[in-house]
Amino acid sequence: MALRSSFSRSLLVAIALCTSSACATVRPQDKEHLAEPSMAFSSGGASTTHEQHVLDNREGASGGGTTRGGGCGCN
Amino acid sequence: MQLSAQRLCLLLALLSVSASARAQLGVEAASTVFHESGGPISMTVIVPEVNAEVDVAEALSLRAGWSADVVSGASVAVVDAPAESVDAITTASVTDTRHVLGGGFALRDEQSTLSAGYRYGFENDYRSHGFDVSARTELFDRNTSFELAYARSFDSVCDGPGAEDPAQKGRLDSSDGCFDDDDPDRADHDLAVHGLQLSGTQTLSKLLVLQLGLSAQIQHGFLSNPYRAVRIGPTAAQEHHPENRARYAATIGLRYWIKPLSGALQPSVRLYRDTWHLRAASLELGYEQSLGTDFRVRVRGRLHMQTGAAFYSDDYVLAPRGQYFTGDRELSPLKTVLVGGELTYSVPPDDEGDVLGIFSAFSLKMKGDLLQTYLEEFHYDTVEPPNDLALIGTFAIVAEI
Repeated sequence: MALRSSFSRSLLVAIALCTSSACATVRPQDKEHLAEPSMAFSSGGASTTHEQHVLDNREGASGGGTTRGGGCGCN
Repeated sequence: MQLSAQRLCLLLALLSVSASARAQLGVEAASTVFHESGGPISMTVIVPEVNAEVDVAEALSLRAGWSADVVSGASVAVVDAPAESVDAITTASVTDTRHVLGGGFALRDEQSTLSAGYRYGFENDYRSHGFDVSARTELFDRNTSFELAYARSFDSVCDGPGAEDPAQKGRLDSSDGCFDDDDPDRADHDLAVHGLQLSGTQTLSKLLVLQLGLSAQIQHGFLSNPYRAVRIGPTAAQEHHPENRARYAATIGLRYWIKPLSGALQPSVRLYRDTWHLRAASLELGYEQSLGTDFRVRVRGRLHMQTGAAFYSDDYVLAPRGQYFTGDRELSPLKTVLVGGELTYSVPPDDEGDVLGIFSAFSLKMKGDLLQTYLEEFHYDTVEPPNDLALIGTFAIVAEI
């Protein structure tokens, strides 16, 4: 129950953050730090895929998205 | 298998020819070693992977890839052994290789990307056909982005002969004869998986970026592990899971640039629930530091906490949970702690902009993680559960021509 309410609360906070004035546009010339590789959310490539595959098979609650790969992790 | 490898080589060769004729070719080669121990048995998995992507036109790129899981070791086959001896935990010796071949394309313009792909995974006891499509767009001076992705897979799982009463059905003892239509002792079951994911990224300031993600997955079909059995009386029966499962997750992540340190703080939270009444929260905190222009180092910690599935029991003889029973300790209440680090080295270009003479970019990555599992309600009488400590190491090369 506690997890359920925290799930809903987090979603509301996130939506509020993104619809607030904090989402003001940053001009391209001000994106020097945002362009750093460390600021990217993109996948870390194969190493991230491999790690996700391990977690999918070692935690019953991992995965559940559009993870690619196949295989049941039966072993 | 040999034929598949030849086809892959041919495809990669075609991509290379296209690349030399047109534009950029990116290749990633990586290998991960996963070793699990912490008890009387252990398991090692080696995962090599090669991916290539080439721009064949200004707006079109093609990609192809291959990966494998080479598994050796032993896993627990019968859960809830009645004796105290370690030998009483029935284990299955496992040696198997899973291959996944895939390819796809992406169409791009200045703001949007549309991509689609197909993959085929196969091993002795499992086959999977899957495709995925995704659309991504950037808005408001690239301060906002959205991505919608859908994946669908059609899987087949090998099993032994069926039984009317699941409590009388034995576990699969080996993969011999799997997918052989002439073998009367083998059957295969279907598993359909639909996955949908929506994510958005928003720039909040010159130093802060937010990402939100929502995902849902529906699984329908054979969701048990055919090799695993549970003692539910005088004999052990193959675990029996529900045939449907809907899974939902929400993720919130931030990237915050710390100017005095020239590094990025990377916190994230993931919340999960599913129709098996499993609930979970995962918290992760990473920090990535640039060391000069060529090196980046990242350290991180992750804590995962989950409740158990509604039908999970530590002992189905003393505490049955209705019509379903499982030997999957990953469906029990547990915590995992992961700590790790990675180092990325980007080889600097020469005066003419080339890297190592022929590349436009070339980087090496080394990554290591330690994953400790704390099982709260999973025991083998007085025997400690094995395989609760895992080491994951990856070495990757990424090159662009």
